Amino acid sequence: MNDLKLPAIDYAALAPMLILFGVACLGVLVEAAVPRARRGLVQVPLGLLGLVAALVFVIAEAGTRKRTAGEAIAIDGPALFLQGAIIVLGVVALLLIAERSLEPGGPFVAQPARPVGSEADRSQAAGEGGATEAYPLVMFALAGMLLFVAANDLLTMFVALEVFSLPLYLLCALARRRRLLSQEAALKYFLLGAYASAFFLFGIALIYGYAGAITFSRIHQAVTAGTGSGVLLFAGLALLAIGLLFKAAAAPFHVWTPDVYQGAPTPITSLMAACTKTAAFGALLRVLYVGFPGATWDFRPIIGVIAILTMLVGAVLAVTQTDMKRLLAYSSIANAGYLLVGVLAMTPEGVSSTLFYLVAYGFTVIAAFAVVTLVRDADGEATHLSRWAGLGRRSPLFAGVFTFLLLAFAGIPLTSGFTSKFAVFGAAFGGGQVWLVVAGVVTSMLLAFPYLRVVVMMWLSEPGESTPSVSVPGAFTSAALVIGVLVTLLLGVLPGPLLDLTTRAGDFVR
Amino acid sequence: MTPAAVLAATPMSTGEMWVFIPLGILALVGALGMVAARNAVHSALFLVLTMLCLGVFYIVQSGPFLGVAQIIVYTGAIMMLFLFVLMLVGRDASDSLIETLRGQRVAAILLGVGFAGLVCVGLGRALAGTTAKGLAEANSAHGGNVQGLASLLFTRYVFAFEVTSALLITAAVGAMLLAHIERRKGERPTQPEQMRARFAPGNYPAPKAGPGVYATSDSVATAGLLPDGTLAARSIPEILPPRELTSSETAPKGTDR
Repeated sequence: MNDLKLPAIDYAALAPMLILFGVACLGVLVEAAVPRARRGLVQVPLGLLGLVAALVFVIAEAGTRKRTAGEAIAIDGPALFLQGAIIVLGVVALLLIAERSLEPGGPFVAQPARPVGSEADRSQAAGEGGATEAYPLVMFALAGMLLFVAANDLLTMFVALEVFSLPLYLLCALARRRRLLSQEAALKYFLLGAYASAFFLFGIALIYGYAGAITFSRIHQAVTAGTGSGVLLFAGLALLAIGLLFKAAAAPFHVWTPDVYQGAPTPITSLMAACTKTAAFGALLRVLYVGFPGATWDFRPIIGVIAILTMLVGAVLAVTQTDMKRLLAYSSIANAGYLLVGVLAMTPEGVSSTLFYLVAYGFTVIAAFAVVTLVRDADGEATHLSRWAGLGRRSPLFAGVFTFLLLAFAGIPLTSGFTSKFAVFGAAFGGGQVWLVVAGVVTSMLLAFPYLRVVVMMWLSEPGESTPSVSVPGAFTSAALVIGVLVTLLLGVLPGPLLDLTTRAGDFVR
Repeated sequence: MTPAAVLAATPMSTGEMWVFIPLGILALVGALGMVAARNAVHSALFLVLTMLCLGVFYIVQSGPFLGVAQIIVYTGAIMMLFLFVLMLVGRDASDSLIETLRGQRVAAILLGVGFAGLVCVGLGRALAGTTAKGLAEANSAHGGNVQGLASLLFTRYVFAFEVTSALLITAAVGAMLLAHIERRKGERPTQPEQMRARFAPGNYPAPKAGPGVYATSDSVATAGLLPDGTLAARSIPEILPPRELTSSETAPKGTDR
């Protein structure tokens, strides 16, 4: 046994992931060593510093195109771009997570193990400092997402999927208010997520049976050669796609989304809506573009139907929602459909437009959830739509900001929503997928209705007795909100630089 | 194509077949029993049965390390820990089987059977012309089954292998977070405090009298009598109001004979 050699590992290329895993482990040690009152003061700078350091390494490696660690990790254009995007979006989401001035103690419950409604629970709701274990969990989740978009074989991808999912399941259960809803959301997400993971694993087994390997390059060879049983290939690809589309919240695998988005603490919802979506679509891009481009003609009609179904379900059900967080959840489902349109172009423009859309949507959705955390009354966030009526009269600034964000979701020109939708539809048109473009345009018009309804309600209704006040945001939320709104505006007015970057980052290594 | 035909299509020694058929049936019984059993302990034991059968399958398919690890680690250690926890938590807590959505169970069974049929038929067709490759080549490449596994774990999948530790840390942190209540000083009464409370004025420090001790019947509803002849409410459970019993209730039941 002397022929066993550790494969060459490019530590600089892996540094972003290693840094985040290290920061997460340090965070766990901080939980053990630092007194409770000061843990937040240590965790927030630690997390932010770690993310910035990881970003520095991603930028430094910008030109790298290679496979490393025994071909298990591919560091290429999309991987680096998505890693950078996840880190930047993670920083903004971490700002929301770290906010403590809106609610005494922050958005998390102090001791999640205390039974809901017990005397100890009532006393901790009053302002006991929230659980700081959330910070290392967020770091683990982000590190897992970085690995997920860079995994070059299905086994590494599966491990990464679990590494970023498990902390998210936990984080969903930590809400300070409406804890039963939060715990229910976490349990639903956990059970359905475990189910989806099982599908993914089964798919890996079938693909292994088909190709005799699980690295994407070998799968590509097998698909191109066309030997082996087609049933194994299609069944395996279908099961893999189910696992990935579940995380991306595409219909009919979307049913968890509204419940989980509503129950989870709002900063965590923003993290899931921005970063998880980015990671899931990054992995989907890699699977379809690197592993299975040879089967494009076979999977495109099926996933195309899923894309249309996703857009329709998101748009139609968004109309019927009465809760702001559920409305944004259905909007997130519809946006998964538009992203699938970009993915299915199966051209280099398809990759770059999808990357652009992910960044643009991520910033807008984090800013939107930041506004949701601000509209509150004595019981916490007032998310029911009727409570938002007349908000424009009471605090024109925040209603104006939210109106801008909703217009961006609706895809009005001069916002990032317009440029990103234009980019994915253009790519799909270039890829010959006119049917998807038509469905996308029609559902976009449909989806504008719920957004405009909220806008009309905020500005044209009289504020009532129950209209909640908009809290003055603390420094962290203000920063997140300003970044989100500015990027949304900037990408709408001046999308050139990011479009150039996504075009240059569109090359996968195989 | 039926599974039996698939079995016939792939070369399988007689011994392997005679191990597979009874144990395969047992594994299926265990899996179904695990889902169907109402008692959590029975479910866990059914799962143990399935896992043991799987372990034997791995060994038969020339993966001895995997099979032994399955039996020792999963069945022996993890499932036994699981049983300990079930026993500690209380094994009579069974699930409520009320359907919140009408027809959900029937629909779920139909869909499940349908999916199983789809997978069986699909795999049957897909694997009909395939010859089994076996593990012989992989096992000899590095001088043995365990060595082969080790070479995969520590070369090609070394990063994934190391990253699984993040999963374990997350699981440990999560278990602490969701299950452990940290009590600070002052939340739990100390022993001197409990003693002071016990002998404080207004509290009765001695053990309570049992029901019926000073009374004429052996019913738990019969309150003890205080020296002045009044009923001692403390001697019966709180949910029973103190009351005078009828003569038929107080009459001896004849159980001593």
